[in-house]
Amino acid sequence: MNVRLTVNGEPHEAEVWEGESLLFALRERLGLPGSKNACEQGECGSCSVLLDDRLVCSCLVLAVQADGHDVVTVEGLAEDGRLHRVQEAFAATGAVQCGFCTPGFVVAAADLLEHNADPSDDEIREALSGNLCRCTGYAKIFDAVRLAASQ
Amino acid sequence: MARLIRTEKEVEGRFTEQWIVVEEDALDQWPAGPRTVVGQPTRRVDGVERATGAAVYTADVQLPGMLHAAVLRSPHARARLVRLDLDAVRAAPGVRAVIGPDDLDVLTSEPCYEGHGVAAVAADSFEAARAALELAAPEWEVLEPLLDPEEAVRRESLLAEPRRHDRGDFDRGLAAADVVVQAEYRTQTLLHNPLETHQSVCHWEGDTLVLYTSTQNIWGVRDEVADAFGLPHDGVRVICRFMGGGFGAKNDAGDYTLVAAELARRTGRPVRCALTRREENVVSGNRNATIQRLTAAARSDGTLTALGGEFVSALGWDGWLGPTAGPMQMLYACANVRTVEYGAKLNLPPMAAFRAPGFVEGTFGLECLLDELAARLELDPLELRRRNHADSDGTDDRPYTSKNLMECYRRAETHWERRHEVRARSEGPWKRGVGMASQIWYGGGGPPSYAWIRVGSDGRAVVVTAMQDIGTGTRTAMAQIAAEELGVPLEHVRVEIGDSARGPYSVISGGSSTTPSMGPAVRSAAADVKRQILEIAAQRFHLEERVLDLKGGNVVSADGGSWSLEEVTGLLEDAQILGKGARGPNPTGMRVMTFGAQVAEVAVDVETGEVRVERVAAIHDVGRIVNPLGASSQVEGGIIQAIGHALSEERLDDPATGLVLTQTLDAYKVPTIADVPEIVTELVDVPDEHLTNLGSKGLGEPPIIPTAAAIANAIRDATGADVRSLPITREELLHALEAAREQERRGAAAPA
Amino acid sequence: MELRRPPDAQHAVAALGNGSLALAGGTDLVPLLRDGIVRADTLVHLADAVPRGIDGTRIGAGTTLAELEVDPQVPAALREACAQAASPQLRSMGTIGGNLRQATRCWYWRLRFPCWLHGGEVCHAKAGQHREHAIFGNERCASAHPSDPAAALLALGARVRTDRRELSVAELYRLPTDESRDVVVLAPDELVLELDVPLPDASVYLKAMDRKKWAFPLVGVAAARFGDRVAFGLAGVAPIPWAVDSADDLDRATPLPGTAYKVQIARALIARAFSAL
Repeated sequence: MNVRLTVNGEPHEAEVWEGESLLFALRERLGLPGSKNACEQGECGSCSVLLDDRLVCSCLVLAVQADGHDVVTVEGLAEDGRLHRVQEAFAATGAVQCGFCTPGFVVAAADLLEHNADPSDDEIREALSGNLCRCTGYAKIFDAVRLAASQ
Repeated sequence: MARLIRTEKEVEGRFTEQWIVVEEDALDQWPAGPRTVVGQPTRRVDGVERATGAAVYTADVQLPGMLHAAVLRSPHARARLVRLDLDAVRAAPGVRAVIGPDDLDVLTSEPCYEGHGVAAVAADSFEAARAALELAAPEWEVLEPLLDPEEAVRRESLLAEPRRHDRGDFDRGLAAADVVVQAEYRTQTLLHNPLETHQSVCHWEGDTLVLYTSTQNIWGVRDEVADAFGLPHDGVRVICRFMGGGFGAKNDAGDYTLVAAELARRTGRPVRCALTRREENVVSGNRNATIQRLTAAARSDGTLTALGGEFVSALGWDGWLGPTAGPMQMLYACANVRTVEYGAKLNLPPMAAFRAPGFVEGTFGLECLLDELAARLELDPLELRRRNHADSDGTDDRPYTSKNLMECYRRAETHWERRHEVRARSEGPWKRGVGMASQIWYGGGGPPSYAWIRVGSDGRAVVVTAMQDIGTGTRTAMAQIAAEELGVPLEHVRVEIGDSARGPYSVISGGSSTTPSMGPAVRSAAADVKRQILEIAAQRFHLEERVLDLKGGNVVSADGGSWSLEEVTGLLEDAQILGKGARGPNPTGMRVMTFGAQVAEVAVDVETGEVRVERVAAIHDVGRIVNPLGASSQVEGGIIQAIGHALSEERLDDPATGLVLTQTLDAYKVPTIADVPEIVTELVDVPDEHLTNLGSKGLGEPPIIPTAAAIANAIRDATGADVRSLPITREELLHALEAAREQERRGAAAPA
Repeated sequence: MELRRPPDAQHAVAALGNGSLALAGGTDLVPLLRDGIVRADTLVHLADAVPRGIDGTRIGAGTTLAELEVDPQVPAALREACAQAASPQLRSMGTIGGNLRQATRCWYWRLRFPCWLHGGEVCHAKAGQHREHAIFGNERCASAHPSDPAAALLALGARVRTDRRELSVAELYRLPTDESRDVVVLAPDELVLELDVPLPDASVYLKAMDRKKWAFPLVGVAAARFGDRVAFGLAGVAPIPWAVDSADDLDRATPLPGTAYKVQIARALIARAFSAL
């Protein structure tokens, strides 16, 4: 099947098979490997992307469901070569360990701050509870979100 | 001069004697405390790559013509293959090669645990590979599995000889005691669950096997795969630039690597073999469950007179017996210690190292037992630990190279003192309490490890070594050490790692050994470079070398002269300054260990069994701290993983079939960000004066060791319930509370 | 496998049955398909076929949990149940209609053991690992129903409108039988279109889980007060959402050795929920 979708502001077209996930299409067909495949069933959040401005697990979205829709991945957060403030904050606070969960966290945190400029600690906990970090850098991730919110 | 020495090598508490060629430098350690770069909180040099999704992991490697492998794994814990139709698999669409039990040592027709590899296929896509395997239609004769570790011990189904330690006279120690406590503790099987599953991409370039793999041990994988394929060791090139977590499970090549290599050989194309999450949680290793029957005996003043333990480790079909009795043998001064450890061989998936294997489990038992002893003695638990402080290694009387556990206890006091205020905040069904536990572990590293540094005419330094960064911030720490020694800004140092063809040998990133093993080699290489720069500068400026130094990116002279480094290196044009460094030996006759103490505060809902860890204070003594920011990451990460170990994580196996039930992340519950307490990290940060030119020990493992016991002790403090089995689920806690009430009723009913 | 996207409910119903399955948020169905637990020749994508949105007491089946958890029109028990369900990512995808149809988390069932619920003879959980399993209705199958919102809807006395009839949430579920191992009474081609959720005087949802967030309920208790009548709906305690009138009903629980603790938790949460009203 042919799907057309907008990814990070750019129109894309891809030939996919029916059961294929949006994550697979992003990583394997559109050359965007930033979103990670870790659990394959929506439990870890490493594949988090924005689909029409909603935070979703791209491993659970079928590529064909994204046909005609707008997708933002971790690769699309930086603008004009400048890091998104969440990316800058993750780097500055040491909120990256192995980094495999980081793209998903960055997208989820950017989505949080887009809708809530000054989140409380509980709101941060809630918003990031679908992203698992095994290393586990949660304490520094807190620091990063607070820092990004303050800027 | 190169020197040949016979030395003791330690990884994860396993010792071997071996010959090692060491090159020593005559560098004095830097003075204690933060330096210009070393000891300063430093952001990751590769943080931006990771935060933008630009970092390329093994999972992201794409090679032209790459095929995808799938492995047929045993669906039974023990079985014999009766029939397997590999021809049907071969004929399936998209299939390029198929291998079976006769084709590779890691494939078998008589699987001995669930997930044991049987056959594998390479196809144009993973879906095609998986679909093809469906056609294999295996028929099995299912055999009775051995699953109970105690039964295995009775039947002498063991992976190693029982390990006995007997010092002093245990029975006399018991007889001399005023109080004896005995209890049985249990720890569960745990799964590593790194977010990047175990995987490799293999590709033959002529006679060379190029192997991208998610590993903690580039050189170990190189040798293991080379031996398996009969290649010279450098006939295998191992590449791992970024890897998504390992925690001990990625120390070996794994069947997936050998499968990918063989399928790549047969097809002449690159082959990826990546475990699915389900495979990951069945076959990639686990922290084995333990049963610990422990005894502690003490005089009324708290002096330990005897410690004893019988430890049964449920290792699975393969693996090794971790030092579960280690804490009992080493953490406290006690003349009379008797331990025996059994490693049960079972029809369950093999164990693998998991962040301080053995000591995590053994410390839970010992440190809970010590609190039960303190309660019986009516002694303060912190004071009991102080009174039994060990000044030397109890197993062989060796002195420690450094030990600042008393300082850890001193700093723990302010956190420990909070317990009165914390308890007072109990409210309704929520009871609050505070508990503590101590920690001992290895972490000294050792030779060999090598680094090269080159400096070109632009004055920039490149550190080259074929080590891996498993997420702990190794690149950053090595850059800091090189920058400090060279007196240049951190931004002027690059670290090139992760490729066995492009750098010298490096230690495994396991056993908290990366920084203490590689750090001194990097410093040594930097010192070699610095010496050469100063030699060149001395000739250029007609000064004596001894009056020159490198500082702030400049060559400076004692009389106030200052020239930018580029002014000196600029002379080089295309010439380069090349430095090399090697890790020197550990001091002979001494024991290198890490120490620490943690204080946990919990709130317990006694009606619903919910436990909230509210605060953990961690004080650790690991010598010099290279990067305080990275160090606190390690401490926080260890504590949070330990909270999962303590409260929510457990691999469940079906008792009838031995099949793993918790294969996905909804069933196997690792902590989320909502489970994270306030964490206070304190590092003693005193260089170990006997250990290398750096004085640093490793910090990857120590923080995970005492947390579970501190939590269990805090629960006892809050509720009076003795929790002796992990994880402390609601079920476990409600049972423990009921048992405590029962005991209280019986106690109350007894005549005064 | 084929994917269809019918323009309305009528076309969707016509496309269902005979090996085709309805796809809404996909949060449960996609993993089930991937693991081969359910199979489908055709997926019928419901995005245009079922209503989405909240209008007073009426909730379109295509409304996501994320939309429900923040809407002040929605009774507290349902809002809280949605907010405590799954993770933000899953709630922004998962619909309330799909949530009512989600399958058990029983590991034996998910690992395709040939268990009773899959049409076999025995429930492997009973003699095996069952700490997350049922304390009610577990004679044939000890699986636990994982839906938090369903428990809330049960307590709230919500009604369900399908393409062909209207029934209460209590009537929607029934314990699986030897004849049919399904937990709902809907026909294979029947489509949930809308919910009608009465507004109570007060309501609440309390949940016990293995970690602080993002876990299925060990025990979920929804309570709703209408005048002086209080109704409770429980999640995670039976193969279907389970209604009780009071904590006394727990005396009739039939826990397995490893689920007895759930009775104690349910008792505590029912008392707390009652006093919160």
